[in-house]
Amino acid sequence: MSDFERLKVVTKYELLKQYRRRRFYGALAITVLAVVLTIGLYEGLDLPGSMGIPEQLMDQYGAEIFAIFVTSMSALAVLGAVFFAGDAIAGEFESKTGYLLFSNPVKRTTIVVGKYLACFIATATIIIVAFLMSAGALLVFYGTIPSGILGSLAIALMLGCCMISMAFAFSSVLKGGMGATIATLLAFMVVFTIVSTSLSYAGYDSWFMPDRAADTMAATYGVSFEQIMGGMIGGGQMSGMMQASQDPILGFLVLLEYAIVLFSVSIVLTKRREMI
Amino acid sequence: MQKSIVINGLTRYYNGFLALNNLSLRVGWNEDVALLGPNGAGKTTTLKILCGLLRPSAGTAHLAGHNVVEEREQAMSQVGAILETPEFYPFLTPDEILRYLGRLHGMSKDVLHDRTTEVLRMVGIGKWVDVKVGKFSRGMKQRLALAQALLHDPPILILDEPSLGLDPRGIIEIREILKEAGKNKTIFFASHLLTEVSQVCKKVAIITHGKLCVYDDISSLQKKYRSFENAYLKLTEGAI
Repeated sequence: MSDFERLKVVTKYELLKQYRRRRFYGALAITVLAVVLTIGLYEGLDLPGSMGIPEQLMDQYGAEIFAIFVTSMSALAVLGAVFFAGDAIAGEFESKTGYLLFSNPVKRTTIVVGKYLACFIATATIIIVAFLMSAGALLVFYGTIPSGILGSLAIALMLGCCMISMAFAFSSVLKGGMGATIATLLAFMVVFTIVSTSLSYAGYDSWFMPDRAADTMAATYGVSFEQIMGGMIGGGQMSGMMQASQDPILGFLVLLEYAIVLFSVSIVLTKRREMI
Repeated sequence: MQKSIVINGLTRYYNGFLALNNLSLRVGWNEDVALLGPNGAGKTTTLKILCGLLRPSAGTAHLAGHNVVEEREQAMSQVGAILETPEFYPFLTPDEILRYLGRLHGMSKDVLHDRTTEVLRMVGIGKWVDVKVGKFSRGMKQRLALAQALLHDPPILILDEPSLGLDPRGIIEIREILKEAGKNKTIFFASHLLTEVSQVCKKVAIITHGKLCVYDDISSLQKKYRSFENAYLKLTEGAI
């Protein structure tokens, strides 16, 4: 049996494990709720009007601006990824199921890659559901779906990859799955945010930070932040911060690099880890 | 023809603590050998190294001629194992778990269909085939662990206290399964139950402080020390 055949087996059953867990359906329910809330609040509270977005801009880019609001939920990709990936490796050691899995004639690399693919498919399911709902709302309210939604989806999926890699890196070195989940969330939502915000205030362009790269999810629709946010904050330093990570391709590549490096680290660490 | 298990100068440290001290052992094909010793003697460490879950600090171990570190996949394909208290994925059923592990061993879907039913019936949990393992008792998990060890019909069984957590009926049933399996398999197992050992195995390796004290036929030990229990007590005296 080839390594590829074994990889397919690991992926299939790891995915089955993900779909059997309540947390998958919990994450799915949170996603549906978040999208419905965003759409409802956007329309119900007339957010563009409240934010002072010029009417001329709304006439020209109404669908794009709506899409920016409803598809720029990076938190969904982050939450989905850490929900599924946090205990993927650490759990095998913590719950001792690794005695069962690792004593089989299959390479650790194959197991880690299979687990990664399963986590990615589960995360992608959550993200795609959110985007499909947003696309449906765009059709209902504006009768069109901006092409930029595909770029936004690509960045959301790459953010998911990046977060799964980060969770795997923590999961391959920490004792428990919960610890790995919390460490991943803290790293992305607290540590990276502090670093990139500080860099931006100090006048440095923090394009290389994953949280800033994730912001480019909203920059694929051909509407600049200055145009949208100018009505609310009148430009200034905040709009400068947002402009710093506006190239979606660069954002995608930054996330890809983090995904590859951190995933490689997790493979090396898992291969070295022993079932003591 | 090479031996089924060859352990040569196996040594393992845990942060400076010597758990295995230059252990050497050879087990022939279809031999049933018990690894005995007091708590902390190094039994589980030996079995974990044989199953590729720990790396030795020094020495080598071979299964069916394959080095367990350098040719891990080939070595593991020859083995069915139960290590420590078996734990399974609680969201999966025994059928799904055995299919997962069987496929990793290269078994085809058609073969697995029949074999899964066969081994689950053999270990006495045939009726629980579609119940999630999260609902299983410790004894049922132990039976499932034996089922997965036998699933791919490996020539070598490595078992760490296979009767742990079983009720008396379970202990007797598992012992019978092992005696039957031992006719055409090498069984290398760690246990604290001398009765079980003497009924399943002909040979025994007793280790204390990671060192081999004796490796001999149980009948020889019985002659030399008047009983198997006496032999064990004498050889492990002062070991704890």
